[in-house]
Amino acid sequence: MATESSESEEEGKITGGNQHLIVEDDLREMGKKAAWSVSSCKTGNGVSSLRDDNLETYWQSDGAQPHLVNIQFQKKVKLQVVVLYVDFKLDESYTPSKISIRAGDGFHNLKEIKTVELVKPTGWVYLSLSGNDPRETFVNTFMLQIAVLSNHLNGRDTHVRQIKVYGPRPNPIPHQPFQFTSREFITYSTVR
Amino acid sequence: MKLKQLYVLLMRLAERFQMVQLVIIFLALFTDRKKSAIHHFRLALSINPLLWAAYEELCVLGAAKEATVVFSEAAALCIQNQYLHHGLPSPNLHMSSEDYNLVSSRNFGSEDVSPRKLKHTQGNNLRGIPGNHHGAVVLSGAASQPQNGGPSNMSFYNTPSPMASQLSGVAPPPLCRNMQPNGSNLNTVNTDGSPRSIVNSTIQAPRRKFVDEGKLRKISGRLFSDSGPRRSTRLTGDTGANTNANTAAVAGNGTNNSSKYLGSSKLSSVAPRTVTVRKGQSWVNENIEEGIRNEAFDDSCANVASTTSSSFSSDNVRSLDHDGATVLVGGVVVSGAKAVSGASEVLCLLRTLGEGYRLSCLYRCQDALDAYLRLPHRHYNTSWVLSQVGKAHFELVDYLEADLAFSLARQVSPYSLEGMDIYSTVLYHLKEDMKLSYLTQELISTDRLAPQSWCAMGNCYSLQKDHETALKIFHRAVRLNSRFAYAHTLSGHEYVALEDFENGIKSYQNALRIDSRHYNAWYGLGMIFFRQERFEFSEHHFGMALQINPCSSVIMSYLGTTLHALKKSEDAIKIMDRAILADRKNPLPMYQKANILMSLEKFDDALEVLEELKEYAPRESSVYALMGKIYKRRNMHEKAMLHFGIALDLKPSATDVATIKAAIEKLHVPDELEDNLSTE
Repeated sequence: MATESSESEEEGKITGGNQHLIVEDDLREMGKKAAWSVSSCKTGNGVSSLRDDNLETYWQSDGAQPHLVNIQFQKKVKLQVVVLYVDFKLDESYTPSKISIRAGDGFHNLKEIKTVELVKPTGWVYLSLSGNDPRETFVNTFMLQIAVLSNHLNGRDTHVRQIKVYGPRPNPIPHQPFQFTSREFITYSTVR
Repeated sequence: MKLKQLYVLLMRLAERFQMVQLVIIFLALFTDRKKSAIHHFRLALSINPLLWAAYEELCVLGAAKEATVVFSEAAALCIQNQYLHHGLPSPNLHMSSEDYNLVSSRNFGSEDVSPRKLKHTQGNNLRGIPGNHHGAVVLSGAASQPQNGGPSNMSFYNTPSPMASQLSGVAPPPLCRNMQPNGSNLNTVNTDGSPRSIVNSTIQAPRRKFVDEGKLRKISGRLFSDSGPRRSTRLTGDTGANTNANTAAVAGNGTNNSSKYLGSSKLSSVAPRTVTVRKGQSWVNENIEEGIRNEAFDDSCANVASTTSSSFSSDNVRSLDHDGATVLVGGVVVSGAKAVSGASEVLCLLRTLGEGYRLSCLYRCQDALDAYLRLPHRHYNTSWVLSQVGKAHFELVDYLEADLAFSLARQVSPYSLEGMDIYSTVLYHLKEDMKLSYLTQELISTDRLAPQSWCAMGNCYSLQKDHETALKIFHRAVRLNSRFAYAHTLSGHEYVALEDFENGIKSYQNALRIDSRHYNAWYGLGMIFFRQERFEFSEHHFGMALQINPCSSVIMSYLGTTLHALKKSEDAIKIMDRAILADRKNPLPMYQKANILMSLEKFDDALEVLEELKEYAPRESSVYALMGKIYKRRNMHEKAMLHFGIALDLKPSATDVATIKAAIEKLHVPDELEDNLSTE
């Protein structure tokens, strides 16, 4: 599922962005169970601004590129989508341009799984972590690292207003090979 | 400490004062002395067979005898004796000295709370007070003390107790109704406390004044001149009062004990302080206020013990009017015979209701439904009965019928909160988020302080998969009434959805502490242990749940899966078959059975089961996926491909899409290798 570190699996350009965050029903946000950290930040614009559900506050880096956001889980989790809120109109030269997503067990063995170039994004940007193979719908990993490699207009530091990470919902019925889809099954599947 | 002292004191008083039984019960339950509680409930019932709340609580504790036994003809005679003993038939207004002593001695010893009021339905809102006129009388007697002069006395007794005919119960009855049966008086006492009582404030004022002994006698005499069961009128949709009630309302759990009896215990604790009926004004007032408050509390709580008051009302109206007429004419003797006939009718009704309730608490739901169907039409169509019917259908996992019953109940009595938390769960299961939102809105606007309303709201959020908010709301419900077991169970469910198993276990255990017959909590614990793969614990808990509710096919199927995980596969299959028989509409046990058979490598049997299952649920992707998997194991690749394809068409979840596609790709790879490669 991970490719060589020098090559990126997919190079794509993303323009624009959604104003509203719309995610499929069978996905759920996984970030609450993770430890978030950043490579550098300006005082008052730290990592908590990335997770506060407030689009007015943002994280501002304060060091050399690449700027890193590290998301570490206590156990291996399946992740499918990473969503960022970035806005060129507000942040201009602080808006990230090239983003690389890496995954692995820890800092020592991260491998890049996706690279994306944003072109004047204005809202929620969806980065899917799935590969082409249906077996690679999810990334099963301990750690995810989002690296901002460059910014618009060659800015040094970057602003990111919010980051969310999504993975599949677990089967409500444990030890079951497949999830139920029809109403008859779901109705009878639990006692409440 | 305090509770214990109270408990001891009450035990001493118990022999003298019947109503104290009820307080003891509360304390016993609170302190987990379940046997003692059951014993005292039974005692209370034997003393006063019309004590519905006691019977109800016994049902919830699972220790009730058959209704026909409890509410028997002997009971009718018992009631008659009670009446006669208190000089009931005597038309004269003067109490015998004996009675008076009775009154005074009982004055603050007994719990006024008595009134096991019967919930009324919208149409005929009469609250019956099943024969607890003893306590009520006492309190009335007590309350009557502070009466001022004669006229005020009269008005005192009349105002709060609109006659049966006065369904709106707003205007104070005319003075001539003085002679009305105790019911009215009781009502006085009862409704006074309730926030929306129809009693004018002026009536309350005279209460505070003293009355002399002569008046007391008169009043008491009047109190005893009644024949039929007590009843009081309440405003239709008297939700304000119901508020208190419903904070303690039972939703099929015995959780109202605390608040119900807290009131009574408070009063009883006051009891020892008073010596004679005529001590200082202050404590009388205080007592009465407490009594009133407690009564209202109790009253409202007792609403839980609602029976179809329509029957009562009709009974009562009839007898009351009749009596009223006779009394008005001039104090004609109310015969003991009437007392018996009235009592028998009441008992007859209570028998059916009691039987129904007992059966539904034992989760013999089909029998319970049959019992309720025996009720006459006008009784059946009352909110309490319909809620019970709804609940029975819910336990039978027949959510559509439950939905019908509950919505009828809401039509009949839109402000009743009883059983509405179950209704919200029914809608949750049916995934009717619109209806659920509406229900929630209505409930919240009816009563913001009732745990049922918040349970409904929590269910609403949970349906939308917003588990954190749902959890917060269930916590709120718990804060509103910490003895409402279902709120704890629901919080437990939310914790599990958020994968916080530790807190989930705690919540379920809280629920069980309150009501050990709450099988949902046992099930919840079983599920947590199942997830954590602690299969022995899980087996035990599912077993307990099944013991309480032996007809739940869902629990049976989970128990089966657990047994299979423990390698007791034959038992597992047996239970699955039981589950399949128990409820033909439930596809889950068949699916689980197929799973088990597959892992036992009995592929043909598994396929057979799944083919049958296809008939039941033709659009279920997991059935085809499982069949595909089995065909793959049998190396029948074309069939496997076909089924996987169908499974994909039926739009399974993303995880399953991945799994199925992976399976398709690997159709030619031996199974063991594939299992190693794929991550589950």
